[in-house]
This record gives sequence, structure tokens and C-alpha cells, in this order.
Amino acid sequence: MVKPDSLGQFEQLVLTAILTLRDDAYGVTIHARVGELVRPKAVSLGAVYVTLDRVEDKGLVASWLSDPTPERGGRAKRCYRLEALGERALQESAVTAKRIWDSIAEVWGKEWAKEWGKRWGKEAG
Amino acid sequence: MGLPKEMRPAPPRKLERLIGLFIPPACREEVLGDLHERYTGLVRYLADALCAVPLVIVSRIRRTTDAQVLLMEAFVLALSLSGAARYKDTTFLTKQWELLRLVIPAATALLGLMLDDAYARPGGRWLLKAVRAPLFGLGMACLSQAVLSVGNPELTLPRWILWCGGGLGLLLASTVRLLFPPLAGRAQGAHGPAFWLQQAAEPMQISANAIRAVKGVATITVLALAVLAVYEICKRV
Repeated sequence: MVKPDSLGQFEQLVLTAILTLRDDAYGVTIHARVGELVRPKAVSLGAVYVTLDRVEDKGLVASWLSDPTPERGGRAKRCYRLEALGERALQESAVTAKRIWDSIAEVWGKEWAKEWGKRWGKEAG
Repeated sequence: MGLPKEMRPAPPRKLERLIGLFIPPACREEVLGDLHERYTGLVRYLADALCAVPLVIVSRIRRTTDAQVLLMEAFVLALSLSGAARYKDTTFLTKQWELLRLVIPAATALLGLMLDDAYARPGGRWLLKAVRAPLFGLGMACLSQAVLSVGNPELTLPRWILWCGGGLGLLLASTVRLLFPPLAGRAQGAHGPAFWLQQAAEPMQISANAIRAVKGVATITVLALAVLAVYEICKRV
């Protein structure tokens, strides 16, 4: 079994966006979803393209051109989906992130974890 | 999205065409489409394009540049230019700034090779592609010399060295490309990007005789250069 490379933070964000968007993952929607994930920071469209190319070269995602649509001036979309290698890499990243969260919560206490959980909940709402 | 087609704001066609010229053909369709879909006004469109297009070009260069082939091309260009310089004037490389005069056209030619790979269209004749990129590189080198001749004429190469060294470099770089096709023209594995896989399906339209002829000429040229180098070294010793 091929072992996936460890992911950078922006790669994790892009792969998460592709995972959650399912069949509707293409440049504009991925950029919008990554923007939601990194709020309040801003993300440039170019950075998303660069990362999409990189994760495609690593074999983590696959891409194909869809049919042209009128809202895009009659141009096609490049759609993306996660490959098995990409899913594994994302799973590993999620497990690592959970371990980091648990370790920090252990040192700084449950109150801290609750407070941050509430804050994130408000921001998400 | 919900508006009818005639009411939806759209960027000016001419501006789209202009921006499309800067985007490598392999990703032009989707990038222009994304920019079109995000269009709400001219300023936002231009800001989006300015942020996205340079990174798209850099990413495309990264994907299409093979470091090993680029190093080989740099080597043959340096060898050709320095060989021509040594042949014309044996004291050429011993003077101050002479090395820089050789490096400038070689570096611009390499930049031309990288850009040509990045902007290569899918499909087309393989042999023509192998020759076109070095020709474009040589054109860039000549352009850099023309620009330098206006501001810093002391940094330009004598024409004879540029033409002879450049011609030799063109031949050798074409051979390197025939022997080691650019990344965008090679077959990829199962995880290869869709664009590359599509290209890998293109039939290679080159005869074995043509490859043999180019290899032969290149081998003779390299041997002649090696003999010349040995002769020069022996003369000095």
C-alpha cells in the first residue's frame, strides 16, 4: 500500500473542501469553502489553483473537465474528487489534529477547551 | 446564478481575450471560466485576474519543468556559447565581466525554454515541438541582447559568438529534448494529471530515421567540441 505524504496546512484545507463539496468541487466553490474554513483570513484564488495542481501531482486528487455552462461564458469547469491516497492522507491529518487538540486540552484544562469550543461555535454560526 | 443569461453581469469579451493570452492553454478554459463566474464588476475581475494568473503561470512552469533536462540544456547552452567564444577569441573568458556576457543570453534562453513548455498546446507534432522550444529560447536570448544593446552595450555578446554559439546550442538542446521529452509529453502513471494522460495518448509522429539523423549530428558536434577543448587545453599546457 502506498503511504501518502504528510499534508501541509493549506493542502489539508483544500482536500477538506473537496471532500465536503463532493460532486460540486471546482475552482470557485473550493476557493469559497477554503475561505469559510480559514475565516477571518482571506485566501487568493491563485493559491488554491497552485495547491490543486500540487495535490493532483501527488496523486491525492483526480480532475476532469465538465460540460461548458452559460454562467461561465460557455466554458468548462475542472472538477476534482479525492482519490484513495488523498482520503488516507486527510484521515491521518485529522487524527494528528485531534491528538494535538487533546494534548493541549490536557495541559490547559477542560475549561479552556470548552471556552474555545464555544467561541468557534459562535464564529461558525 | 439565478438570473437569466442576458441579465447576468459578464466581463468584456476583449478583456477576457487579453487575460486569456497570459494563461497557459492547458488551464485557460477553467481559469477563464472561474474568473467569469466570479465576475461582479470590472475592478473585482481585474483584481482576481492579477492575483490568480501569475500563480497559475508559476504552477504550470513547475509542472512542466524537468530539473534534470533543464540542467542538461543549461550545460549544452553554456558549452556552445563558451565554445564559440573560445574559438573566436582565446582571451575572451579571461576578461572581467566576460562570463556575465555569456550567462545573460544562456539564462534568457533557458527562461524561454521553460515558458515554451508551460505554454505548449496539447497535441501537435513532437519533432516540431522539440525544435520550437529551443528556437523560442534562442529568440529570447537575441531579444535580451537587443535590449541590452540599448542600455548596456558593454554587456552584449559579439554577434558572431551569439549566432554560432546560439545555433550550436539550438541543435544540442533540440537533441536533448528528443532524447528526453518534456514532462508534458511523457506517459504518466495511473495517478498522472488528466491533462498529461490526455497528452500521453497522442501518437508520436516522428520517424526512427529522423531521430537517428539528429542523434548523429549531435554526436559529431559533441565530439568536435570535445576535440576542440582537448586541443585548447594541450595548447595551454
